[in-house]
Amino acid sequence: MSVLHLPNAHYKSLVSAHEDVLLGDQISWLNGLRKKAADQFSEIGFPSFREEEWRYTNVTPIEKNKFTVPRESGSVDEAFINSVLLEGCYHLVFVDGHFQPTYSTPVNDLPSGILVSALSQAITENEALVKSLLDSVVETPALGFVSLNTALFSDGAIISIEENTAVEKPIQVAFISSKAGALTLSNTRNLIFAQAASTAHIIETYHGVEDECYLTNAITEVVVESNATLSHDRLQAESSKAYHIGGVYSRLDDKGVFKQSNYTFGASTSRCESHAILGEASDCTLNGLYVGEDRQHMDHHTRLNHAQPHATSHEYYKGILNDRSQGVFQGRIIVAQDAQKTDSKMNNRNLLLSDRAEVDTKPQLEIYADDVKCAHGVTVGQLDETAVFYLRSRGADEQMAKNMLTFAFANEMVERIEFKPLRLAVLDELLERFPQTGMKKEWL
Amino acid sequence: MLKVENLHVSVEGKEILKGINLEIGAGEVHAIMGPNGSGKSTLSYILAGREGYNITEGRVLFFGKDLLEMSVEERAWAGVFLAFQYPVEVPGVSNIYLLKAALNGMRKFKGLDEVDAMEFISMVKGKMKDLEMDEKFLYRAVNEGFSGGEKKRNEILQMSVLEPSLCLLDETDSGLDIDALQIVAKGVNRLRSPERSFVLVTHYQRLLDYIKPDFVHVLAHGKVVKSGGPELALELEEHGYAWIDKKLAS
Ligand SMILES: Nc1ncnc2c1ncn2[C@@H]1O[C@H](COP(=O)(O)OP(=O)(O)O)[C@@H](O)[C@H]1O
Ligand SMILES: [Mg+2]
Repeated sequence: MSVLHLPNAHYKSLVSAHEDVLLGDQISWLNGLRKKAADQFSEIGFPSFREEEWRYTNVTPIEKNKFTVPRESGSVDEAFINSVLLEGCYHLVFVDGHFQPTYSTPVNDLPSGILVSALSQAITENEALVKSLLDSVVETPALGFVSLNTALFSDGAIISIEENTAVEKPIQVAFISSKAGALTLSNTRNLIFAQAASTAHIIETYHGVEDECYLTNAITEVVVESNATLSHDRLQAESSKAYHIGGVYSRLDDKGVFKQSNYTFGASTSRCESHAILGEASDCTLNGLYVGEDRQHMDHHTRLNHAQPHATSHEYYKGILNDRSQGVFQGRIIVAQDAQKTDSKMNNRNLLLSDRAEVDTKPQLEIYADDVKCAHGVTVGQLDETAVFYLRSRGADEQMAKNMLTFAFANEMVERIEFKPLRLAVLDELLERFPQTGMKKEWL
Repeated sequence: MLKVENLHVSVEGKEILKGINLEIGAGEVHAIMGPNGSGKSTLSYILAGREGYNITEGRVLFFGKDLLEMSVEERAWAGVFLAFQYPVEVPGVSNIYLLKAALNGMRKFKGLDEVDAMEFISMVKGKMKDLEMDEKFLYRAVNEGFSGGEKKRNEILQMSVLEPSLCLLDETDSGLDIDALQIVAKGVNRLRSPERSFVLVTHYQRLLDYIKPDFVHVLAHGKVVKSGGPELALELEEHGYAWIDKKLAS
């Protein structure tokens, strides 16, 4: 194994340099966990493109850039922060991986039955809960980025919904990278716990000041207990020069319902994992939309691990690649021998708008049970010529017709967003990329 | 208004239109009838500007200008409208969005300002009422999941909003029950004016019971083999297309 990995002396030294300033450095179990992760990172390092799972995504620039971990947050324009906060939500805000109480919803304003807090606070107030959730879902052997995150995470959100509690408003956790002018690395960790028969909606958003180069390494662990329903949206709108490595690792107990959606617009290179372990008769939806331009590289890896019988999963990812951008989609479905009556659908559709854009898409089914339904489909295509002709024959000029159809391709995913402020935020990202549609938000 | 001269069109080396001549004056209604596969849709597509055809000979003048030189959208702006035989489903584009984009595209070409949003909505809703279309169709994706009849009505709605000079209707009657046919026919008749011309492409004469043509042309084997008045359609109805072939043979 070891021959596959990149040298990473710089990042190893980062770990030792921060050992005694990290969140919870007085807590021995946490120190132990961090130490173990650091050792693991020393051993496995960053993934190499020679590994099958990383064939299409080269992380050498991350290694070369020698990002460093800021000890405190840099300054960000107040207006910028306010512009990314969605209306009608509870908020938790982090800048450069550090909690910003000024922009976050005070505990007193939260309804009863929920905990929405920064880990840095919860580690003293709710240590047992943090301990039970941290590193409980993410699969081992972990990825180098996961180990690095566990070893170095500076903060993040902990959200716990008590049994039978329905949270009315969505909870937005916003991560912002400042105009630091330095190569910063934010390692953030979110822990989400939807207890039995609870209902909640969580929105993670990632933003950066344009033209800044930084690295976000963000991991979310999710536990959805029996009969709980959790929606999780993740909007990645980093600066176009940034690197973003993210992962949502979830576990669904019996009859748990989890809907995870990714909206990927930013970063020069991004990778997002969405992995779920499905309990009996649980229901998991993984959706995604990625829109690349210039030389952006967007990689999505999903893994649906059907461990128990009678679970259903639905996966729908759509990508639009323009200019010389590159998309990667790998959808893995594993159906264990005991997972009879699994019903799983996966679909990945891509639109290539330029000759130099590229997409590598790979469904991967590993089915060990015999009584299952698994359907998967992949398409890579250009715009439908007949539809272009139809729109032009109605007086839309060629560019407009093409933009309308491209927009429509993406809008299919956007229309599914029920929470309007998020839908509008995603639309903004989309319209920014297709200005010639003549599309106006109020028509939607 | 429209003059088609000796038009020859082939696809993949196969000649489909073999010298079409047609002249359509302002305010006239022409019916083009012919058996399946005779080239009716090809002719409609050529006039609307669809790519993928080889125009080997002939020319088409529209208000004296070379139509074949114009792009698809330029033809639309100049006043050509084709109601498709098979209207295209466009998922993700709402009807209202397409109507507004189309109308504004047209207005921009004419140097007019964008249409006022309130006026636009009430104008469109009025036309939908005439066509007995539910307002909810405005917010549905263009033709997606529409029944055959709903699609055809939607084509007529677009036509009434865009107010073209030349309306080409490719088998608008096919797949319509008698009620829907009457509604569509009424919609078309409402648009008739001395400045507006119609080409009704149809397989059957029954549409012509509701929209009275001034001229009827029979298209067979890629040529207009016979032209006449409305009575020609009745003759065809009575004797069938084989009758044309027999007449041609003799
Ligand atoms: N794109 C095409 N490629 C090959 N053949 C075509 C194409 N379009 C039309 N044709 C052929 O041309 C002939 C005329 O077709 P069409 O214009 O659709 O006839 P109509 O509308 O009168 O039924 C048919 O034989 C059809 O198969
Ligand atoms: Mg036809």
